[in-house]
Amino acid sequence: MKKFVLVMLFLSSAALARGEQEISFAHQIRPLLSRNCLACHGPDQEKRKAKLRLDIREEAIAAREDGPAILPGNSFKSAMYARITSSDPEERMPPVDSGHKLNTNEIDLLRQWIDGGAQYEGHWAFTKPERTESPLVRDKAWPQNELDTFVLSRLEAENLRPAQEADRYTLIRRLSFDLTGLPPSAELIAKFVNDKSPEAYGKLVDELLASPHYGERWARVWMDLARYADTQGYEKDRTRTVWPWRDWLIKAFNDDMPYDQFTIEQLAGDLLPNANSQQILATVFHRNTMTNTEGGTDDEEFRIAAVKDRVDTTGVIWLGLSLGCAKCHSHKYDPISQMEYYRLFAFFNQSADADRFGDEPVQALPSPFHYRQHAGILGKISIAQEKLKLTGPGAGHEAITKEIAGLKSQLNEKVQKMKLAAVPIMQELPEKSHRRTRILNKGDYLNPGDEVEADVPEALHPMDDSFAVNRLGMARWLMDRDNPLTARVMVNRIWSRMFGAGLVETEEDFGTQGALPSHPQLLDWLAIEFAITHRWSLKKLCRTIVMSATYRQSSQLSPELLKRDPRNRLLARGARFRLEAEMIRDQALAVSGLLSRKVYGPPVMPPQPEGIWKTVYNSDKWVTSKGEDRYRRGLYTFAKRTSAYPSFLLLDAGSGEVCLPRRIRTNTATAALAALNDPVHVEAAQALARRVLLEANGDASVRAAFALRIVTGRPQKPAETGHLVQLFKAQLAHYLGHKEEAVAMATVPLGAVPENMDTAQLAAWTVVASVLLNLDEILSKG
Amino acid sequence: MNNAQKQYLQAVTRRHFLARCGTGVGGMALSTMLGGQQLQAAGDHAALNPLAPRRPHIAPRAKNIIYLHMAGSPTQLELFDFKPALKKHDGKPCSKEYLDGKRFAFIHPQANPVMMGPLFDFKQHGQAGTWISELLPNIATVADELCVIRSMFTTQFNHSPAQLLLHTGDPRFGSPSMGSWITYGLGSENENLPGFMVLASGGRTPSAGKSVWGSGYLPSVYQGTQCRNTGDPVLYLSNPKGLDSTSRRRQLDALRKLNEIQHRAVGDPETISRIAQYELTFRMQMEAAKVMDISRESKRILEMYGAMPGVKSTADTKSVGDKPLAAADDPGFANNCLLARRLVESGVRFVQLYDWGWDHHGSSQPEDMKSHLPVKARQIDRPIAALIRDLKERGLLDETLIVWGGEFGRTPMRENRGGKYGKFVGRDHHPFAFTMWMAGGGIRGGQNFGTTDEIGYYPAENPVSVRDLQATILHSLGLDPYRLGVMRSGLNSRLIGPTNEGKVRSEILA
Repeated sequence: MKKFVLVMLFLSSAALARGEQEISFAHQIRPLLSRNCLACHGPDQEKRKAKLRLDIREEAIAAREDGPAILPGNSFKSAMYARITSSDPEERMPPVDSGHKLNTNEIDLLRQWIDGGAQYEGHWAFTKPERTESPLVRDKAWPQNELDTFVLSRLEAENLRPAQEADRYTLIRRLSFDLTGLPPSAELIAKFVNDKSPEAYGKLVDELLASPHYGERWARVWMDLARYADTQGYEKDRTRTVWPWRDWLIKAFNDDMPYDQFTIEQLAGDLLPNANSQQILATVFHRNTMTNTEGGTDDEEFRIAAVKDRVDTTGVIWLGLSLGCAKCHSHKYDPISQMEYYRLFAFFNQSADADRFGDEPVQALPSPFHYRQHAGILGKISIAQEKLKLTGPGAGHEAITKEIAGLKSQLNEKVQKMKLAAVPIMQELPEKSHRRTRILNKGDYLNPGDEVEADVPEALHPMDDSFAVNRLGMARWLMDRDNPLTARVMVNRIWSRMFGAGLVETEEDFGTQGALPSHPQLLDWLAIEFAITHRWSLKKLCRTIVMSATYRQSSQLSPELLKRDPRNRLLARGARFRLEAEMIRDQALAVSGLLSRKVYGPPVMPPQPEGIWKTVYNSDKWVTSKGEDRYRRGLYTFAKRTSAYPSFLLLDAGSGEVCLPRRIRTNTATAALAALNDPVHVEAAQALARRVLLEANGDASVRAAFALRIVTGRPQKPAETGHLVQLFKAQLAHYLGHKEEAVAMATVPLGAVPENMDTAQLAAWTVVASVLLNLDEILSKG
Repeated sequence: MNNAQKQYLQAVTRRHFLARCGTGVGGMALSTMLGGQQLQAAGDHAALNPLAPRRPHIAPRAKNIIYLHMAGSPTQLELFDFKPALKKHDGKPCSKEYLDGKRFAFIHPQANPVMMGPLFDFKQHGQAGTWISELLPNIATVADELCVIRSMFTTQFNHSPAQLLLHTGDPRFGSPSMGSWITYGLGSENENLPGFMVLASGGRTPSAGKSVWGSGYLPSVYQGTQCRNTGDPVLYLSNPKGLDSTSRRRQLDALRKLNEIQHRAVGDPETISRIAQYELTFRMQMEAAKVMDISRESKRILEMYGAMPGVKSTADTKSVGDKPLAAADDPGFANNCLLARRLVESGVRFVQLYDWGWDHHGSSQPEDMKSHLPVKARQIDRPIAALIRDLKERGLLDETLIVWGGEFGRTPMRENRGGKYGKFVGRDHHPFAFTMWMAGGGIRGGQNFGTTDEIGYYPAENPVSVRDLQATILHSLGLDPYRLGVMRSGLNSRLIGPTNEGKVRSEILA
């Protein structure tokens, strides 16, 4: 591997301009240059005008015919300054037709920067995070851990106080959604609220981290990134079997598989020495790309599209970089040339898949789902064996021996009957059949250019000489300690899921065009904690975050604070934002008692309106699941790319066609209609109403309080029950006079009214339950 | 935000607090999530209701658009691009120059494909003497409204990438559709209805799936809302069985009161957005149900379109293999045309129709150009002519842009799938030349723009690219195609793509 040259990194850590004010290159100047100048005077050689490059100091200050563009210390003699201040519209930069314009403040900022010596700094994200001393804070009592000192020092600098800790009901609901994606059970709430010991919170955190639903919550996050779907995509969009990989994912999160291993197995598990079945199963990750089986397509075209998707997706997930820009031309802002894009492409270009009809290569592999099916019997066998050891000879002994034999033959039978569906996997071509990789001009596969060899971009850390030059080596390179991006990008992602926005808001873009971190030192501290202190343990990272005082703050908001920091970038309060699509559905099912907590298994088809699936040339049908499978968690819902589950789509979920780095939350009337009228939600409201009648004895206000309590998880406020009782009474009166409506409201789709329950009462409580399930408090995490 | 909403918001919040924040429905959510560069680009969007009407960049020629997409791609050679010369070549082997180095979906270049003359007759119509097929006698009567562009071309020759390119500007998935861009750029005129609505007929949705009306990297508030032929006209529009409108109103009142308690306790403006969001559902239920009920139209109008309210499309029930087979009097498309008019009349900005069943390869009965193309043509002929006339009668044609076409064209050669000819007749996918037409707001009707060579293989004069089409559509609606975009990773991501090759074709415009 060649030694690297840092293209953009002029590591001048010297103090910045000593002009009228301190100017930060990274935070003030680079964004200005980037936005206004670099499209023509940046890394893209082809588009470069006047052979001038302003992103590299050496070139910007180099002697030129009309003087250097920048003469450090003297703006007056800097050609660039003359051009940006020129009164001649022909001369003035940036040109009018570029659509860019510098205002007087910006021009002044550039002047001060040049006069101050025109110091450059590397782009912050390309510099390795360094461990910093935790900042000194005045309020020594508030921080719960080191994380808090970074937040507090900023707040103190802004003369703000952190919010008080949220109440326990809020805390447990917040924690439960963040760690498991589900609301807390009534028992757990009672246990936590009644546990007055100082360790109560920490114990709760540990209990939730150990929940099997923890893996489901984070698997859903990863599935968005991995563009997971149960179909191939494009026109025909045929069904494919990839759900065993989803189960691999759940298990990996639950087992707290270290993130480096997690990465390497997914990107290159097949290339590990003596790869086992689960490591091969992990590689389905990059077979989630689409396959086009539309008649008359050129398989090579779509094979290449899939390989590009792998490069782009890898870039977004691990590097937080939009490598995709460099498919057609060198990146205009980030130091990734088109040639480098295809060097990365070369790592992925040797896998055997080729847009084939059946997604070949495929392999029948057991998954955690299969193992778990046998876990019961295996467990019974070992218990019986233990018993056997303790039992002396005699009749008992014989009975146990017989039992064991029976269990063993059951196991054999099960294993023999075990149907393993073949899943698409990554498999490397034999060396002799390796493809040659060429730059594709304008990204067009019919227009290949120069041949390139696999390699990593020069601007990033070099690849260790001991790594093989293949997918595995590339995966190891991503997880190399010198990689400045991977850990930051991942901690930022986890942070964002908990706080509603990342420390770097553009989760998908840590490049020069991305947003700057709100708390750069905190981001670096978390990255180092994650990668080094906790050896890539996600559970420990989660624990660090949720144990902080920052996380535990109340989300209550004063008008003053709202005005001061409407988007909570300073973190002077707890996060409050709308739940994700699947959480909203899962919550409705959970509080109404319908939710199936079954983990793993083939995708299910909960009710969806008729006529949603009308895909071309595909006779697959949506057959509504029966029994428990109707009520599985959202992540098990069959995901068809051309026709995603409609109520999820309305709440900003993706279709699985491309990597979705974050969901942008919107609130539309159509989404609200779904939460009010979707049969899934109606059914939950009906089930909730039955719970109310069955479990709460007393008058309407007792029942309303009960309903409110099981939905919100907190004690009611009297005014709230008042409104609910009023609604209940009005509806009851209505339904007593409208029997048919009452029957429909109470039973469609849940089913017949249970014995000893009054239909009109049930219908009226269903109407109340639906209100509760649509409360802003319930749709949000506070 | 209308007055009623303003009053409402003022009633439930402290006045100055709102005055300072200017938060409307969803506004906060948007500003919260579009971080960094996007926030700057989103600019005014962040502070306002994301669907509030916005000032166009330039003077608009049209306010609304009805886009009639014939999914599968209709044959230009039987409908609009009359090639008498091709008749002469009928049955003769295709010359090498048209085969060598070309890619086809199903034609076997080695199996000597033959040329195929037009299967139907043409006549000239209107002031420009526009050649129109005998299959479209009603459309022929409105020839003076049409600007027929025979010189369209694309770069994609498979359905889903070609549809994506046309509607999202990118043959790959993940970019916002034209309707999303337009509602993003202009907002919606009617707050109680979605600004971008999609109507599908022909028994199938388009090949590229729902992504052709997806919002891609724009917030999902800009995604198209599908009007449905079965069940609710808009998903989840109807109340559950057993819940009448009075009960729903009561429900929403209780919900509002509880949310107000929550807002008093927590102070999050998102709660106010939530209240407004739920209030909007009630108005949408009222209005959408009314607007979408085409049975409210007069008998004259229903007959004019050939619309039949409530009649289930045969395409939804009959099929040959996996391909739907619709009858000639199937009202699916006609109903949608009439509904489209009602929607634009009510202020819906972008109405997108997809009609499936135009992929006439000649490989099976539903794909037979001789027997099934006339059926499809009949399904659209009367409704389209009626749509144009009806809009004109109502004075809406001037402000409504109508676009008609497929995602590419069809070959001058007869398709020889598997290297042989069977009992059905058809043509393969042809990206190099095809026909689209535009009419209505801002279009110079009664003209033909662009020509193809004598066999219709390539454009001969004034080729028009998909990018040109997109630029021209945006321009007609008052949006600058070069400016309409959002910053993503430093790239101003736009409908017309990263380069400025797409041009507004002013020749098409009045």
